[in-house]
Amino acid sequence: MTATEYDRLSELAVDLGCTLMSGGAEIYRVEESMRRLLNAYRLDTAEVFAIPSCVIVSVTAPDGHVVTRMRRIPAHGTDMELLERCNALCRALCRQPMPLHEVRILLDRLRERPQYSPRRILVGYVIAPAFFAPLFGGGPCDALGAAVGGLVVGLLTLYGQRITGSNSFFRTVVCSAAASLSALALVRLGIGRHADIVTISILMMLVPGMALTNAMREIMAGDTVSGLSRIADTILTGGAIALGAAVGQLLS
Amino acid sequence: MTVVWNAYLFPCLCAFGACIGFTLIFNIHGVGRIICGVGGALGWGVYLLCGSNVPGAFAAAVCIGVYSELMARVRGCPVTGYLLVALLPLVPGGGVYYAMRDCLAGDTQQFLHSLLNTFGMACALAVGSMLSSSLFRAAYAYLHRIARRPS
Repeated sequence: MTATEYDRLSELAVDLGCTLMSGGAEIYRVEESMRRLLNAYRLDTAEVFAIPSCVIVSVTAPDGHVVTRMRRIPAHGTDMELLERCNALCRALCRQPMPLHEVRILLDRLRERPQYSPRRILVGYVIAPAFFAPLFGGGPCDALGAAVGGLVVGLLTLYGQRITGSNSFFRTVVCSAAASLSALALVRLGIGRHADIVTISILMMLVPGMALTNAMREIMAGDTVSGLSRIADTILTGGAIALGAAVGQLLS
Repeated sequence: MTVVWNAYLFPCLCAFGACIGFTLIFNIHGVGRIICGVGGALGWGVYLLCGSNVPGAFAAAVCIGVYSELMARVRGCPVTGYLLVALLPLVPGGGVYYAMRDCLAGDTQQFLHSLLNTFGMACALAVGSMLSSSLFRAAYAYLHRIARRPS
């Protein structure tokens, strides 16, 4: 392999890690995928490191030249389709390494995955709270209220960037306040009977279940730094939800 | 029959629907959606059968962990999505809300009670799912080795 190929390979590994992470993968999966990719191309001395916001790859060429790539990962949601496709690509590459320029094309093509349209995502935001209401002891009336409230939160999440800003803590406070206020308003209007149940059903859309489970998995897997940072994230989000819901509680 | 339907089957169906809703948000397609929904229903059913408390949540998380590892092996996909979506109905969103309400009402005793219950639920879910999926992986690797060993 030539020196430029080492450059390109480390770039590919960093891209793969970055894509996996923005799909919502755990740290051990990101690190192991990158390491296996590099090993598949006979780079046994490669070092990889990942935390939720950053990926680093360092490889040493036979002539002693060191190539290091680092990429900052922006805030991201969860995209399982991307994660599954990226994982499948990585497995295929480990089984049979391909020329680097082909890998680059395949990796770029991962972004053209099927995605739900914003309207379908809104449907998700409507039906999930509607089904949560009976789980918390609500009736059909509460389910209807929760569905409407879920629509409000979904609209805020998808289109309300201008109101909610880019800070995730503040965004959660605004969404949670909107959830509790809309629950109150709906109950006043007669859609929904128990304000508590309607509020909780809507708040389930904001609860950091994903982050919490991932955090514990990472701590158990030995990635303590990432686990702790995700736990801090979970506690902050939980606090933000409580803060936002308190707005509605104070008004009632 | 009506009792069983009201107490167990209907909540499980609701958990199924809620999980399907979440699969739209997390961009899960195809059979994966049904797998997530069934996982959520299974988890909620176990939680109800074990008495809707913290140990119940732990048992549910254990079942979800094994189920999603199994499904991930069957489909050759990462386990992450199945596990996380199936756990979502059990995540203590209500706990956070009630703790906040008791805090605002100035009822410290009740506040601590709800807060600790919330933390208990969260830890039970995380530890349960992690434990069962680690055990499953260890057992799977062991069985795999035995199956491959030339006799």
